[in-house]
Amino acid sequence: MSTTADTMFGDGRSTPRPYATATGELVDRELILKFMTAACFWLVFAPTVGAIVAIKFNYYDFLGHISWLTWGRLRPVHVMGVVFGGFSTAVIGLTYYIVPRLCGVPMYKEKWGHSIFWLWNVFLTIGFISLALGYNSGIEAGEFPLWVSIPVEIVLCMLVIQVVGTIKLRTEPRLYVTLWYLTAAYIWTAMNYAFGHFILPFSMPGVNNAAMHGLYIHYVVGLWITPAGLGVAYYFLPLAAKRPLYSHKLSLVGFWALAFFYPFVGTHHYIYSPIPYWTQTIAIVASMMLIIPVWTVVQNFYGTFVGAWSRFQESFPAKFIVIGALYYFVGCFQGSTEALREMQRLTHFTDFVIGHSHLTVFGTFVIWATAGMYWVTPRLAGRELYSKSCAQWHYWLTVVGFSIMAFDLTIQGLMQGTMLQAGADFVDSMAAMKPYWLVRTLAGITMDIGAALGFWNLYMTINHGEVIPIPAATPVNYLPEPKWS
Amino acid sequence: MSDDDNHSESITRYEGPGIEERHGIIPTWLAVVYTVMFVWMIWYTVVYWTDKG
Repeated sequence: MSTTADTMFGDGRSTPRPYATATGELVDRELILKFMTAACFWLVFAPTVGAIVAIKFNYYDFLGHISWLTWGRLRPVHVMGVVFGGFSTAVIGLTYYIVPRLCGVPMYKEKWGHSIFWLWNVFLTIGFISLALGYNSGIEAGEFPLWVSIPVEIVLCMLVIQVVGTIKLRTEPRLYVTLWYLTAAYIWTAMNYAFGHFILPFSMPGVNNAAMHGLYIHYVVGLWITPAGLGVAYYFLPLAAKRPLYSHKLSLVGFWALAFFYPFVGTHHYIYSPIPYWTQTIAIVASMMLIIPVWTVVQNFYGTFVGAWSRFQESFPAKFIVIGALYYFVGCFQGSTEALREMQRLTHFTDFVIGHSHLTVFGTFVIWATAGMYWVTPRLAGRELYSKSCAQWHYWLTVVGFSIMAFDLTIQGLMQGTMLQAGADFVDSMAAMKPYWLVRTLAGITMDIGAALGFWNLYMTINHGEVIPIPAATPVNYLPEPKWS
Repeated sequence: MSDDDNHSESITRYEGPGIEERHGIIPTWLAVVYTVMFVWMIWYTVVYWTDKG
């Protein structure tokens, strides 16, 4: 932290201007809080679309007479909304907080941040409208049409330049694990996004396209969501626990094991397909070997919290990090074993897969990004959380709703798979799933209500939380210590 | 001195965010997992390289 004697707002705190940006500050408060606000919006919008999509499983006529509200149009809005709208907007905002603080210098090309904010959010909005209108490139998780993909790719390249440029100019000699993950995530994603949006839809017909699509979609998960989410979580983990990170060695093992094994897992979506058998075997082996980085990360996380479990009571970021690590362990073990041929035979074409994807993308990485938002928002706003009870409701409705949903989808998948293996008619197996779909919808709505309360609360914190008194002579980069984060 | 005491000796501090990290250890149980997984990887790759059925 800087030791300069400048005060945060240059006025000795006579006037509370909680998120004014002072000259010489390491981070751009206004920019980050704009990203947090946008992330709050997308993190309510995308799961709500998911709830509407879920309702259609039980009431297939629900909103079905309006073309842009049909299942086929809304499902990509939900998927792209969670991945690029909610999760990515939060991560980009947190990147503008984390990278300068770890490097000891302001973000390289700092002024780009505001252009990136507007480009990102305006084109996401255009993208979701385009998807609802039926303009879809046809590549799952890479569905934005060209007029959205091009600006998004430009944003990703700008972010790569900013992150790498900041690291190059850093004054902190060591690179903390978070910087490895974030750098890798942005570089990999700038390449993968171009692959999924500019190459795949226009080349490689047939089975080759399917094989490559398997790689693309898993690179979105494994080379963007996973490293970006882990980068964020590793940053806030020791801060939330108020303890040193358990093991630098384990961080190394986790990062390099992910980097080595993840690029090969994509074909596990096409077991028993015409894709060569040995490539399927490599994908299965790589998927199982992901047990190494996952268990390593979980040990590092819980090892850090040993002796600091009281923080679970005191800190919302700590709560979200701890529960996210549990979902990470469960969801990733499910994903690894799901790749095995016998498990694929049982679970393919069932909601077991949907349970797994929700456990990892939402249960783990959105929840870790949420932890970061709870840490950063009150500090940069200079205000206490607007409502502690709303934050509690956010946490517990998420945990209860999401746990029921994940368990329900997993059991449902195993039930349907067993029925199909026993020779049941496919339509009969679908009819038997109706009660499970109802539970999934109700559980999903529960967690959506939690999310709405929580992100409304964070939004209100920025503008209406109680101002935290700050001593007169504080350093320029001083951050207050809010009560519950 | 126990393993825990040893590995807590070396702590790096990142001044900007105030984060500290231990040099740390790889716990024995994880080293066993790494070994088992490595052996399994070799076995599965060799046995299932082609579809013999």
